[in-house]
Amino acid sequence: MKSYLSLIPISAKLRRRQNNMTLLCIIFAVFLVTSIFSMADMGVRMEKIRLIEKHGNEALEGLSTNRTVYSCYIIASLLFLLILVAGVLMISSSINSNISQRTKFFGMMRCIGMSKRQIIRFVRLEALNWCKKSIPIGVLLGVLITWILSAILKFDVAGEFTEIPLFGISLLGIISGILMGVIAVLISASSPAKKASKVSPIAAVSGNSSDVENITHGVNLRFCRVETSLGFHHAVSKKKNFILMTSSFALSIILFLSFSVFIDFVGHIMPQYSNTPDITISSKDGLNSIDSILIDQINAMDGVNHIFGRRNIMDITVKLTQDEKTINKVDIISYDDFDLDCIAKDKQLIKNSDISKVYGNSNYVIITPDAKNKLKIGDKIQIKDRELEIAGILKYDLFSNDGSPDGNLTLISSSETFTSLTGKEDYSLIMVQTTKDVTDEDVEKISNIVNTDYIFCDIRDQRTTSVYIAFKLFIYGFLGIIALVTILNIMNSIVLSVSARTKQYGAMRAVGMSQNQIIKMIIAEAIIYAISGCVVGSILGLFLSNRLYYTLITKHFSYATWKVPFVSLTIILLFVIIAIILAVYKPIKYMRNISITETINEL
Amino acid sequence: MNLLEVKEISKVYGSGETTVEALKNITFSVPKGEFVAIVGESGSGKSTLLNMIGGLDDPSSGKVIIDGKNIFSMDDDSLTIFRRRNIGFIFQSFNLIPELNVEQNIVFPLLLDYEEPNEEYLEELLEILNLKERRYNLPSQLSGGQQQRVAIGRALITRPALILADEPTGNLDTENTSEVIALLKEAAKIYEQTIIMITHSRSIAQSADRILQVSDGILTDFGRYIG
Repeated sequence: MKSYLSLIPISAKLRRRQNNMTLLCIIFAVFLVTSIFSMADMGVRMEKIRLIEKHGNEALEGLSTNRTVYSCYIIASLLFLLILVAGVLMISSSINSNISQRTKFFGMMRCIGMSKRQIIRFVRLEALNWCKKSIPIGVLLGVLITWILSAILKFDVAGEFTEIPLFGISLLGIISGILMGVIAVLISASSPAKKASKVSPIAAVSGNSSDVENITHGVNLRFCRVETSLGFHHAVSKKKNFILMTSSFALSIILFLSFSVFIDFVGHIMPQYSNTPDITISSKDGLNSIDSILIDQINAMDGVNHIFGRRNIMDITVKLTQDEKTINKVDIISYDDFDLDCIAKDKQLIKNSDISKVYGNSNYVIITPDAKNKLKIGDKIQIKDRELEIAGILKYDLFSNDGSPDGNLTLISSSETFTSLTGKEDYSLIMVQTTKDVTDEDVEKISNIVNTDYIFCDIRDQRTTSVYIAFKLFIYGFLGIIALVTILNIMNSIVLSVSARTKQYGAMRAVGMSQNQIIKMIIAEAIIYAISGCVVGSILGLFLSNRLYYTLITKHFSYATWKVPFVSLTIILLFVIIAIILAVYKPIKYMRNISITETINEL
Repeated sequence: MNLLEVKEISKVYGSGETTVEALKNITFSVPKGEFVAIVGESGSGKSTLLNMIGGLDDPSSGKVIIDGKNIFSMDDDSLTIFRRRNIGFIFQSFNLIPELNVEQNIVFPLLLDYEEPNEEYLEELLEILNLKERRYNLPSQLSGGQQQRVAIGRALITRPALILADEPTGNLDTENTSEVIALLKEAAKIYEQTIIMITHSRSIAQSADRILQVSDGILTDFGRYIG
């Protein structure tokens, strides 16, 4: 043994199991940063390839000022900071828990002459020693996940991500990961190191860490059983810890509720309809002048997945059966069966609507939302000598600019109903959805058979599906990270709390507390953190969700109204339950396996 | 009638070359109401023996019978409940629950059984232990002697037949030591309890009805006086 620092690897070997949690936290932080920066790098490389393909090599000169590149790095840097904060929180709580389990060890070191400065050095080097193992694992995992994500984006999401490199290695990602590991560990270790140096030599001979001894308020045993009351008291007695735990839970819930609004927001600016066409063929005059045979002809061609058409009749006058009132300027649009299926699939109808009545030659229609005449489901409309009943109402106006009703009433009928009502069989608009493997030649062939009297539009590149999926992946991934960080924090905190009270639990067991009562006490502590976090998080989160919804969505899409996100709240509840189970699992296992005599005799 | 019977108790730690025999075939019995002191050097095995008697540790072989019941034939839950109701523990470092006040600490074993304490008996105990004035204080607000008196109160609250005390005066000064020993003897007399106490002090041991010595895991019965 050359110096006292040679103790570090020996101690690490002996405490391998206890150190696993800390190692896991470091691996997680390094892995996140490596994968985020690597993905940002892959994004930039993809942009490079795209630009070279489009504009040749000279385009590269403009790359440094390219907005996409710039925003890729900005997002990655912001995430780096966020993960650094979360990582420091996570690693420091884990090191803290590790240190407080070794009060006796540090006390003994002080007893036999180690100075405070030497203890600080010891803890810092011990933390850096963990990096030796955890950083390479984190980096490797990061690279692996980058490859998997690239493959998903390239083959599954496709679209504009087809150019993303598959097995790219990002030096930037790896360096950021290593830096993250070292910086986070050094910052995290500084406060526990000071804490360890402050362990008085007397602690080695007199008892547990001082955490449980500075108690000024007793427990109220009047309302709950003794083990539950003690568990509650353990949770709230240390204010700083209680606030940290509550905020940790609350922050996750707030972020979850706010980010759910972003998903809604993207859904509004990039609506993903099942009937979004890749090719449209419309009549120049807007009338039903496209020969219906064209549909059959195109349907038989390569690269066509779905084809459907619409007919319309504008500005007719209808009469309401109930009060004989007339409404002017009503449009009727026919939907083929596939188009009607899509309305149902995209859940575009309000509650109690029944679209199944509309199919075939029926006497039912769907209407756009109608604020002016206050039409309801079941109301009847007279067109010429035919009476049609409203079977459903759309949530928003598909035919106005921003989805809000513009005062014009539009009726949607089935193709058959329209034809029997108007006698018209030709279309005003034909829409084609292409297959995934459609080629430009296939589209050209379709274009060639379309009469020049019609307007042919190839709008495949207007599809936003790939961006939408990538954005959703990003948001859910981010939420996953937040949830994991919270769970790790809470796990560490409960382990910390239990290990600080090991001797106390031993004494309780000796005087007759059962294993189950100890478990209930630990669970009660975790539940208090969860409940307080849920209450604070849900109140603030719902408020923020409401404000964000209004600012981002309602302001621009007036038909959209904020509703209490019950699905999100249910997910949060499930998350909280899982977090509690995970957080108490380790301490409970520890308490089950430890013998009473060992705990009483322990410091 | 014997309240406690220890039959051929052995405890072996480790295996192979590292085997340590902490207790070697120990057999003895204690009648109801007797005050027994166990003496011995550090590491002689006396605490291990006391832990076995209290069911806190399992023996490698042998039986401990308390009030006719073999405690090691019980499962963990039953043993915990048996311990809670029939054995009172007093430790050298008091082991009070820091968040509970004096009264709550004393009634703690009853609370674990979800039972209400008998107010009259509680008042009587507080009176005997001279803790009436301190009943709402937390352990951190008490002196060492007062804390040990609370621990004695906790050991007596369920009126257990057996009290096990592991160096109860180890952390106390001379004045508090005599007070605690006197209290233990008085309680044993009033409530007809059997006490088994570990001590390092020969003078304290002399105040017991019988003295047992453990040396290298072997028990010797010295009877009333130790030589």
